[in-house]
Amino acid sequence: MPLPVILSLSNIRVRYGTRVAVDGLSLDVRRGEIVGLLGPNGSGKSTTLAVAAGVLDPIEGTATVAGVSRATDPAGFARRIGLVPQVCGLYDELTATENLAFFGRLYGLTGHDLRQRIVRVLSRVGLANRATQRVNTFSGGMKQRLNLAVALIHDPPVLLLDEPTASLDPASRDALFVDLTRLREEGHAILLSTHHLDEAELGCDRVAILDRGQLVACGKPAELLRGPLTDHHALYGTLRVRPPKYLERAIRQRLASHADFEITGRRLRLSAETAEGLGRALAALLAEGVELETYRTPTGTLERALREPN
Amino acid sequence: MSRLGLILTLAAKDWWLFWADRRAAALCFLVPIILASAFGMIFHRPSSDVAITRLPILLVAESGDPFTTQVVAELLACERLEVRTTTRADAEAAVAKCSPAVAIVLGTDFEQVRNWQPGQPLVRPEVIILHHATASAERHLAEGIFTEVVMKKLARERFGSVPGVTEAGLTSPFQVVSATNSVTANTQFNSYSHSFCGMTLQYLLFWGMESGLVFLRERQRGVWVRMRASPVPLSCVLTAKGLATAWIALLQVLVTFGFGYLAFGVTVTGSLIGFVLLVLAVCGLAAATGLLVAAIGGTEARARSVSILVILGISMVGGLWVPTFLLPNWVRDIALSLPTAWAMQGLGGVTWEGRSLRTVLPSVLAVTGFALAFLTVAVWRLKLSEHHFRQGNL
Repeated sequence: MPLPVILSLSNIRVRYGTRVAVDGLSLDVRRGEIVGLLGPNGSGKSTTLAVAAGVLDPIEGTATVAGVSRATDPAGFARRIGLVPQVCGLYDELTATENLAFFGRLYGLTGHDLRQRIVRVLSRVGLANRATQRVNTFSGGMKQRLNLAVALIHDPPVLLLDEPTASLDPASRDALFVDLTRLREEGHAILLSTHHLDEAELGCDRVAILDRGQLVACGKPAELLRGPLTDHHALYGTLRVRPPKYLERAIRQRLASHADFEITGRRLRLSAETAEGLGRALAALLAEGVELETYRTPTGTLERALREPN
Repeated sequence: MSRLGLILTLAAKDWWLFWADRRAAALCFLVPIILASAFGMIFHRPSSDVAITRLPILLVAESGDPFTTQVVAELLACERLEVRTTTRADAEAAVAKCSPAVAIVLGTDFEQVRNWQPGQPLVRPEVIILHHATASAERHLAEGIFTEVVMKKLARERFGSVPGVTEAGLTSPFQVVSATNSVTANTQFNSYSHSFCGMTLQYLLFWGMESGLVFLRERQRGVWVRMRASPVPLSCVLTAKGLATAWIALLQVLVTFGFGYLAFGVTVTGSLIGFVLLVLAVCGLAAATGLLVAAIGGTEARARSVSILVILGISMVGGLWVPTFLLPNWVRDIALSLPTAWAMQGLGGVTWEGRSLRTVLPSVLAVTGFALAFLTVAVWRLKLSEHHFRQGNL
């Protein structure tokens, strides 16, 4: 029996000036489910999350959490949402505890209850031993964990994460997904945005693919992967060391005719129209001294859906 | 949590953020104290019962006749001048270097002055006063003292032969009584009172600006999105911001004036209630300035540059650096449209001028009015930008 819907976005439409950022999007997230919003930059992922968080008013449509809409009960709506902004929403000058105490008080938490919750969320994200240290002494991964802890301080049923892994190394990213999986098991509904296919595929129960503000596909990653094979071939990998810019440019020029590649941090995405083209591109990369730590080759329609949604 | 609870939580956060960088916080208190002390020292003048400062001048006598020699001797003996005799060439060279700034040249025909008869035509000999381009005031002072010395000398020569008139009897036909014109008796201008009022005001405005910049920075960080997603109305955020700014401004006033009292005897000689009301009004002005900077500042860098320019401008014109009585009339007229001038007038009134509550009340009302006007514009603009933010027009 499916768990109840907790977050419901219905026919959401948002416009920035003359540009439509989200166009008639409807999406439900159930209790105990992780849904990934996937799409290229400018596809409307962050805007959708902003509407779900209640910081942006759609020109059409409604967002409700457990049946409560922002229009009817703004405070009740806000209390049911935990937002993890893409840029860390923390005061660097304050300690982890002070940050949690401040945001906890904004949600009406005080006294013993607040202190207990601070201890609990800090230990849950593995920062109990850094409780009294200032945030400006934290690494990027620790900041992101505290960012998550702040969103959890009032124990909201819905968690919204805007590209939570954008500035994380692979180890921190894996740790974050372990945390998210645990939260899902506890019954939280999680909606996150990402533009990494592997995250969506491995970490999410369902994936909603956005393009130019429209929901173009939504389903379980496996279902999307089971689609018909196409003439498109891709490889995802982690580089041992990111190559210098000049080398990246040189490789791009060499591969320009038959393959495309993208390097984000140490992540590599390599794609070509044919399997032979992909093999040639990989050989060219290795010949330039680029070393792969790990790699895999999904060949489904998820990539196709992301690149060619229509 | 109640609205008041939310406001206090948000204000307390700003309080802790202020103290998070303790050195920066300490500088907020130290800088106005240092500047106020320096300005106080620079503008400090001895009170009237202390010996006056003598004006240094050079004197060139191009004739050795008895009359000129006697005038030179009397100028050398004058207690308001510090006279050194020299040649014309040396005097010109010295004045050009402003060392000293004034020289008086008595020409070869200066002796003809003694032939002066009231009502009789006379070819008047020239007395040249050389002065440096920057020493207009000193030149007028030297001319006045010189004229007095020469006219006294002539009066003695004219009336000395009148039977029964002695030289001691040739005194001025009037006597000058010096008195300061103020509300209370025995009031003396206290340069430290002025400088502590001025620098405190200036740094309250700077603190207001800084608070506004912190708010701008906050709005550009993830904390703003998080705060707007929390169940906190914008009105609470703005009230808390204003409260925290005013709160810290009040602390700055207490520390700065406390130091002024202990080190330089800066006291409230007028209405204490007037002083308290003025302090509350200027703290409110600092808070409103902060919100105004956040509301209309645009980017942080732009807001900082424009705010510094405006604050320095209104500080200078408003008489926060030097007393307004040293400023030209047109500047004083412009200053009436500035909150700084009203605040300074009020604070000066209750500190060294000894004014009553009734006489400083217009200043209190004017500063409060400016604060309310700033606040109205700031809240309107911030609510408008929040509306745009919510509509996606970032």
